[in-house]
Amino acid sequence: MMMSREKVLNILTRICDSKEIMSNPDVELYTKGLLDSFGTVQFIVALEEELNISVSITEIDRELWATPNKIIDYLEANYPQ
Amino acid sequence: MDLLTTIANWVDKIPEQKACIHREDFLTYRQLWDRSDALAVWISTIIPNDNSPVIVYGHKQPNMLTAFFGCVKSGHAYIPIDEALPIDRILRIIGNSKCKLIISPTCLPDELVFDKSIIVCDESKKFDLSLSAIFNEFSGKRPSIERRVTLDDNYYIMYTSGSTGEPKGVQLTLGCLTSFVEWGLAEFRIQANQMFLNQVPFSFDVSFMDSYLALVSGGTVRCIDKEMIANPRELFKEFQVADDTNIWVSTPSFAEMCLIEKTFTQSMFPKLHTFLFCGEIFTNKCAQKLTDRFPQATLYNTYGPTEATVAVTSLQVNQKMIDDYSPLPVGYCKPDCVIRIIDEQGRALPDGEKGELAIVGPSVSPGYFQNPELSKKVFYVDQYQDKSFRAYKTGDAAYIQNGLVFYCGRLDFQVKLHGYRIELGDIEENLRLIAIVKNAVVLPVTKDGKCEYLTAFITLADQERANEFELISSIKKQLADRLPDYMVPRRIIFKDAMPMNPNGKVNRKKLQEELQ
Repeated sequence: MMMSREKVLNILTRICDSKEIMSNPDVELYTKGLLDSFGTVQFIVALEEELNISVSITEIDRELWATPNKIIDYLEANYPQ
Repeated sequence: MDLLTTIANWVDKIPEQKACIHREDFLTYRQLWDRSDALAVWISTIIPNDNSPVIVYGHKQPNMLTAFFGCVKSGHAYIPIDEALPIDRILRIIGNSKCKLIISPTCLPDELVFDKSIIVCDESKKFDLSLSAIFNEFSGKRPSIERRVTLDDNYYIMYTSGSTGEPKGVQLTLGCLTSFVEWGLAEFRIQANQMFLNQVPFSFDVSFMDSYLALVSGGTVRCIDKEMIANPRELFKEFQVADDTNIWVSTPSFAEMCLIEKTFTQSMFPKLHTFLFCGEIFTNKCAQKLTDRFPQATLYNTYGPTEATVAVTSLQVNQKMIDDYSPLPVGYCKPDCVIRIIDEQGRALPDGEKGELAIVGPSVSPGYFQNPELSKKVFYVDQYQDKSFRAYKTGDAAYIQNGLVFYCGRLDFQVKLHGYRIELGDIEENLRLIAIVKNAVVLPVTKDGKCEYLTAFITLADQERANEFELISSIKKQLADRLPDYMVPRRIIFKDAMPMNPNGKVNRKKLQEELQ
């Protein structure tokens, strides 16, 4: 399955339950309280189940993954389709 | 078993063995014993002829254990408080406990301002003394054994979420803890000198499943801290060092998080032979994955409220159990206690019938600290094997079949989220204290019968809400000043008005339906 920006944003919107993800993809996920450790784990599971991207849990880094845009950049660079 | 004597015997036998490890920091049995002796002598000097509880503040510093033993060796119960707790909550515990002394192997937060008459020992140099200064000054001094807490004295007081928004202190005696430890050693077949993995903070009694079972068997506690849990990369780096772990103690949620990583298998922990779980529902899915990935390991699921000391039931979860039961039962009751399923009048119900789970026996707490009214509601006295014992109504719904206890959720508004025990009323009360909030209802969002996260429905004092996101951020931030992070609902939904029942109460059922 293709990874698309849209799909990643959709998953994040669902897990964080906030429209802010779509309207402001540079929002700080962790510092704004949108995502915590367990939310991150749900996100990793969703990436695997829905987009077939197997991110290792050891790749999670709150700096590298700070915003939706940064997550997408990371996925595009490391999981090119 | 005399708990402290048992540990002292290990101190004589293996003084240089590590009792506790956290990152590069560690504590040998000898250090644990000598330092806590010095600390106990100091405590008896500064608050003589006193048995008020002592607050011990910190996270996973090995000297947390030193502080615990310093307290009980001088006849004081300890109240463990984790660094993750917000200032406001700590102040409430200080106030409720009327403590005279606070000990910390780290620094108390600068913003924590309290009664000047409370003596503080921490590393900040702002207060009376530091632990290291006490270890030096009182080095070699031994407290009298008569000073130690006795079987009926409080050994620790654990503060937990209360439905009114005020935390409540659960008192546990040395007798309670001894009963748990004796049972745990036999039930989980603990051998001497094992390496235990500790995940749960010391402010939750699940952490005593690893620390005390380790210390009475000459074992070592290796601590995982909150930074590692927040940063899985760091966690798995620590696991490379922790490959000598024999016994894993955690909440099921923590194991589920680790299972996402595909290399989390027996080859990562070649010596791991026992998993002990406590604190929340252990799903068949999680049990199956662990069974597949750790073929050498034995899995135990346990159950018990803080009011009955760590755990009172246990079940060895093998393939047959996973195949036969879904959801898994929580196990059989420990032999010195009995579990009764009772109806609303307190009458015992027959096997197979669902009712409230009550625990009778020496594991049960003497009650909530300085709160006889609240204690009276849930604690009582009951008979077991012709003897009178303390008894506790858990508020858990359950039934028993052939001695096996099956948990069926809560009868009230308490939830378990990732192993944390939360009174929804506690969050609601604290939300209502925020100026812009008029009313609040907090509900769990569940998946496979397990709470996944919390949602708050909020009506605002002022209906004007220009930027919903900023408003949500601000409410979450203000709530986090009052409550631990895990109690801040992930999702916030604004309502113009709450749906009401004919009796004038909020219709929680209707709100719950909106979440499905």
